[in-house]
Amino acid sequence: MEIQTHGEQTENGWWRDVDGFVGPIQPGLGPRTDPMGEFPTGPDIGSRLPDVRAMDVDGNPFDLHRDRGAAPAIVVFFRSAVW
Amino acid sequence: MQLQSGIEAIRANGVKLYALSYDEPDALRDFRDVYGIDYTFLSDPDSEVIRQFGVLNTLILEDDHPWHGIPFPGTYVIDTDGVITHKFFENNLALRVGPDVLLRAIGGESQESIAADAELPDDAGPLEPEVYLEGGRLATGVMCDLVAAFDVPEGRHLYAQPAPEGMVSVDLTVDDNPGLVVKNIQRPESEPHQLEGTDEVFQVHHGRVELRLPVTVNSGMVKQATHGAVQISGQVVWQACDDAVCDVPQKRRFELSVPMAAATPPGMLAPKDYDGISANEAAHFQKMRERRNRS
Repeated sequence: MEIQTHGEQTENGWWRDVDGFVGPIQPGLGPRTDPMGEFPTGPDIGSRLPDVRAMDVDGNPFDLHRDRGAAPAIVVFFRSAVW
Repeated sequence: MQLQSGIEAIRANGVKLYALSYDEPDALRDFRDVYGIDYTFLSDPDSEVIRQFGVLNTLILEDDHPWHGIPFPGTYVIDTDGVITHKFFENNLALRVGPDVLLRAIGGESQESIAADAELPDDAGPLEPEVYLEGGRLATGVMCDLVAAFDVPEGRHLYAQPAPEGMVSVDLTVDDNPGLVVKNIQRPESEPHQLEGTDEVFQVHHGRVELRLPVTVNSGMVKQATHGAVQISGQVVWQACDDAVCDVPQKRRFELSVPMAAATPPGMLAPKDYDGISANEAAHFQKMRERRNRS
């Protein structure tokens, strides 16, 4: 796995990445560390979603499969609510 | 965040929605409250679930606080048995799947769309593409499909890629636009077609033909775009034939004016003069940084 480091500096000193996104941090560093090409995407389609045991927003233990019961679900892994 | 706008339709399909990150619970609570989000946030501050899934971003080294611990962001769709039916991952942290794509994945039909205000000549032939942006709005970083759709009548076909020499395969392109991020086009499967009386075989499309071009708004342009609309222009080319006759190749320009959805929360990477609401990101960021530096 390699890091995507291609970036062009814009007029205001920000950086444009390969997809055209412009931001203050150079691609390949810190919060702009993206993979180039293939990268792991977790369990395969057709397999059961592994257990997700985390915390709810009040810090209580939370079991995703238990909560959803028999409902279908969308499960998002996202970067951060803070940055 | 962008999923909130599609949540009614997702709920109507009986689907539960969860979003997990490495943030502390109280950071997620502030985020939820400030942005009025009512799906379920899950906190995984030590990235245990993220590691178990094998989606930890290992390109960020362990001592690179506080960035280490994030996943390669992505989305799983699971059925009633908990079996994964779809997954969506992008190799750019700034990108994520839009609600309309997820709705399509779970079989929802309640998708709104806005039609292109393309000017068609009066003598337009019976076969014309419909060009629209699925969902009808754009938000920064959220991929939506720009769709060119044809209903090819029985007995006719469109040339697929690669077209025979001298012929034109169906294609959808957008004009260069620094405010727009465009990913790889998705084409329907093509079928081999043999010209009667010859042994010439080429690839064609039949029936409903949808070309999908995932697009989104450039985050660096959010300030300019927030209050208005985004202009998307481009063209569709195609050539239709039956076994006997081929039409001349067609080209249709389109121009869409797409409203911007509410801006994505700016977090720590917001422009310095961003004046929108905030969910105490700076305080939570500082706390995260301190905790990680201690451990």
